[in-house]
Amino acid sequence: MDTNFIAAILNSAIRSTTPIMMAALGSAICNRVGVFNVALEGQMLIGAFSAIAINWFTGSIALSVIGGILIGGMIGLLVGYLQVRFKAADMVVGTSINLFVGALSAILLFILFGVRGSFKNPALLSLPAIQIPILKDLPFISVLLRNFTAMDYFAYLIAIGMYIYLFKTIWGYHTLSVGVKIEAAESMGLHAQRTQIMAVMVSGLLCGFGGVTLSMGQVTLFTENMTAGRGFIGMAACNLGRSNPLLIILASLFFGFCDASASIAQNTIPSQLTQSIPYISTIIALIFFSRERMKKIKNSKAA
Amino acid sequence: MIKQYNIKSLAVRFAQIFTQPLIAILIGLTIGAAVILIAGENPLNTYIKMFEGAFFSPFYFMQTLTRAVPVTVCSIAIIMAWRAGYINLGVEGQMITGSFVGTIVSIYSPLPTALTVMIAVACGLAAGALLAVFAAFINDKFNVSIVISTLMMNYVASYITSYFITFPLRDTSNDLAIQTKEIPDVMRLPRLIEGNTLNFGFIITVVLVALFVFINYKSNFGYESKMTGLNPVFAQYGGVKRRKVMYMSMALSGALAATAGMLEVFGVKYRFAEAMFTSTGYAWTGLMSGLISSLHPVGAFVTSVFLSGLQVGGQSVQRTINIPLQVATLIQATITLFVSIRLLAHFRAHRKSKIPKGNIKGKGAGDA
Amino acid sequence: MKQISKRYPNGVLANDNVNIDLNEGELLAIVGENGAGKSTIMKILYGLEHPTGGEIFIHGKPQVFKNPQSAMKQGIGMVQQNFMLLPPFSIAENVVYGSEPKKMGVFFDRKKAVDEVRQLSGQYGLSIDPTLLIKNCAVGLQQRCEILKVLYQNARIIIFDEPSAVLTPQEVEGLLDTLRQLAGMGKSIILITHKLNEVMAVADRCVIMRGGRHIATLNTGETSIQELSSLMVGRQIVDKEIPKLDKGHCVLKVKNLSLSGPAGQSIVRNCSLNVDSGEIVGIAGVSGNGQTELLHMLVGLLKPDDGEILLNGKEQSGGEVRTIRDAGCAYVPEDRNTMGAALDATLTETLLMAHQYKKELNRHGILNHKSAEESFAALLKEYNVLHSSLKQKSGELSGGNLQKLIVAREISHNAKLLVISEPTRGVDIGAMEFIHNRLIEQRSDGAAILLVSSDLSEILKLSDRIYVMYEGRINGEIMREEANAENVGILMMGGVRHDKAV
Repeated sequence: MDTNFIAAILNSAIRSTTPIMMAALGSAICNRVGVFNVALEGQMLIGAFSAIAINWFTGSIALSVIGGILIGGMIGLLVGYLQVRFKAADMVVGTSINLFVGALSAILLFILFGVRGSFKNPALLSLPAIQIPILKDLPFISVLLRNFTAMDYFAYLIAIGMYIYLFKTIWGYHTLSVGVKIEAAESMGLHAQRTQIMAVMVSGLLCGFGGVTLSMGQVTLFTENMTAGRGFIGMAACNLGRSNPLLIILASLFFGFCDASASIAQNTIPSQLTQSIPYISTIIALIFFSRERMKKIKNSKAA
Repeated sequence: MIKQYNIKSLAVRFAQIFTQPLIAILIGLTIGAAVILIAGENPLNTYIKMFEGAFFSPFYFMQTLTRAVPVTVCSIAIIMAWRAGYINLGVEGQMITGSFVGTIVSIYSPLPTALTVMIAVACGLAAGALLAVFAAFINDKFNVSIVISTLMMNYVASYITSYFITFPLRDTSNDLAIQTKEIPDVMRLPRLIEGNTLNFGFIITVVLVALFVFINYKSNFGYESKMTGLNPVFAQYGGVKRRKVMYMSMALSGALAATAGMLEVFGVKYRFAEAMFTSTGYAWTGLMSGLISSLHPVGAFVTSVFLSGLQVGGQSVQRTINIPLQVATLIQATITLFVSIRLLAHFRAHRKSKIPKGNIKGKGAGDA
Repeated sequence: MKQISKRYPNGVLANDNVNIDLNEGELLAIVGENGAGKSTIMKILYGLEHPTGGEIFIHGKPQVFKNPQSAMKQGIGMVQQNFMLLPPFSIAENVVYGSEPKKMGVFFDRKKAVDEVRQLSGQYGLSIDPTLLIKNCAVGLQQRCEILKVLYQNARIIIFDEPSAVLTPQEVEGLLDTLRQLAGMGKSIILITHKLNEVMAVADRCVIMRGGRHIATLNTGETSIQELSSLMVGRQIVDKEIPKLDKGHCVLKVKNLSLSGPAGQSIVRNCSLNVDSGEIVGIAGVSGNGQTELLHMLVGLLKPDDGEILLNGKEQSGGEVRTIRDAGCAYVPEDRNTMGAALDATLTETLLMAHQYKKELNRHGILNHKSAEESFAALLKEYNVLHSSLKQKSGELSGGNLQKLIVAREISHNAKLLVISEPTRGVDIGAMEFIHNRLIEQRSDGAAILLVSSDLSEILKLSDRIYVMYEGRINGEIMREEANAENVGILMMGGVRHDKAV
């Protein structure tokens, strides 16, 4: 196995990581304010669809990206409003939003493009790959970073930014306090509900971002339900990362790697089996890391 | 006097129970109408066609009832676990696995027919139940969220069964369709009326709903699982064994999901085919009817018939007018969303009396 | 200098035309029973609730407080009964919460926060380590943190809502000193309480409320506890005489029971106790000293690490809840909303809990709802639980009625051992007397009762014998005849009895 092959695998893994990481960060910000958001999947799917639709009608990459993110945010706002302001049950809102977006995108796919199932066209623009001077000439690195888009890099900045916001700024402290004890936040005159709704909206923006990278990143097309459970895998990544943005980067990279290995193994193993790898590995990871955690608790008990 | 009063209070209760879902349905249809309008069709016309193609002809109504069979059974599968506080989003996967196992056993079993039927059904039920119990187990032992694990298993079940029917167990007589062979004639559920797909499975469904009502409202298990769902600490305090309730309700939920799948195979399709449950969305429609009826089994049955009608109507509209079938799903999801706001109304009244949690908030929230 | 007056007819549970005025540097007490409207009026002053009528004046100027923030701007701070602290954060972070020192405009300067809090605590003589996390602090320390929080906001009027409810008698002394000191430094203090000895000890003046009404304002120098209490209750309280009973046989015997928490810390250490039939045994102690966990081990909700529990001579340690209940144990938990009931369940369902295994209600797993409802209706009538129907949700009952329902459910087991925790927390005085009388009746009928309460007067009133718990161990045992607030209080603080060996 040559180094280029390894670099290619890592390249694919990192590019598969971006959408999962965005969903995971979205899940984290919701958890941090005490809201359980199950609609990540739907928020992501609408972002992916909107990006392709805007892409087709405007021919502008910038507008597609911004539009995808904003429309994801709008769905997030709706979810937040229903769950926080109207106290609607989280699971009900989440599942119905996911199904709603699934149906809506399928219908619009037909209305706007006259196709069912999937839409692909050479006229659709892809996100441009970023060439970093010097690095692009290095042997291993050049393969590793090949075809990375600005959004793949930006994702890490978002994670670090969220970490700084939550744990270093005053607003972050206030945001965290809402999740710890909402009465305390309210008694200090913070708009706790507004904070919660904003957080869910931010999760919508992040998922929208993830959706855009999904439909305009590695491939440029939209397929019905193309998120394929990535919103839920994001929840798992958030769970493993204990809602900490920096740990979430690691957890997401793991799931990205599983995703990538599924497509690489496809050459030797029937695709029906490889495609289930990401889902099986999600379950295994959740089991494994929780056991690790329990061991830790046991050790500290013995000490 | 007393009688009058009762009728009045009954009417009030009736109104309380039904107004909100009706409003939600109205909103759902309005949103659907907006989409149809965008598609450049006449909403009223489309709806008339849709309802004609679902309810207003004996043939199509029976189609609707046929479809309502797996949907209803899925909805009670979901209710079974949800009312105990465990949110089983994996009904689809359990349905796929259960019916796949049941089909394969009935096709390949060398045993006499009667025995084969029994073993096939038992294996199918066990497969569905095991999948759900596995989710309960990893929640119990490793605190893995049931919402996530069951949902992941939907994909796993779908891909792995797809592998089996694409390669080792494929019916090679047909090059186009990816499916198994047909099950033997004698194992098929009898049709109720010649020339229509409505079959004995419908009667089984009605019996299951009745049984379910009895278990939920009359049995100790029903009581204990409801209490566990409302407040697990309270249930535990009263001596209810929480883990037993969890495993039991998840196992029953998975077995019911498998039943839903097997009724479809043994009653309608007679074989297991690629995407037969994912593309039809029975499990998700069932989930929505469970939620719309606030987890009430009889309500879920009625709602399932209605939602199945929307889908059957959607199919017929798709054939004649240029509207995708998903309009039905869109309407259903909107209805569910707006019914969730009804839950909040009663939730709100409660909040005033300082109640921390609503009853439909399940285990998922606790796991976050 | 400040004149606060307000009136409001507020529907059901109202404050009716209440007038209160407070001077600078004054310590004003507001007394009244539970439900007299003390807390409500203070919440209005603090902007947490809004008056339906009346006005608030500060320095003669009318003020409208939309929220606590605007009350704080006018120098009003409140130390609430339920602390508004963030357990995973440090004392310093909590004290500066809401007006944090900044670095470069946006960043939280935690170092400066620690320094400022250290300085503040020195200034007011409230010694504290600002870097401790709240979740590791004892209740007394948490309260100190709440006080610092209010001082950090530069409050001139500080409201204390039942501040002594969670403290030991000795901690209360410290608190009262702090109150005096703050008043001495020019702060105006409002003390909401129903403990009259505290009022007499520190307050300058005292407002008495009853049923949402302002009854009187008195100078504490010119009144007595007796006068205050009769004004407060509206009638004379007669303590019911508890009949003397002969010593019964041993029902519960606990030997060396121990429990550790998940992080290995010891929660219950080597507890041994016994309860005889016809006896009420009280467990006194500041809440959070292992009482809850001890009871949970007794009823099977927690598994002890070590030790024996003998119920009627049979070993039950580590058994299932149901086995222990079947062996003759009933339990009224301390928190009716989270453990004692499911608030979304109907009254029938709430009452059925732990009765569902009884033969007359359960035949082969099928429940007999009809006969259950008949007996429950009779039970609720007997216990005078106000309700509209058995199909009503239990969350719709008032606190006192729900508590009576839970007590009724548990007593109706006729269990040999009744374990009961905080039976009268947050209920009105009528329900309290009712529950106390029921317990005394049960005792006369030969039940063994183990009572845990953080309300010392309740323990002293009912118990034949008192164990005191401190940091997870039994720190002493006192017989009724010898027990008083002082010697129990010392044991609650972890002290030793000097007067006599146990």
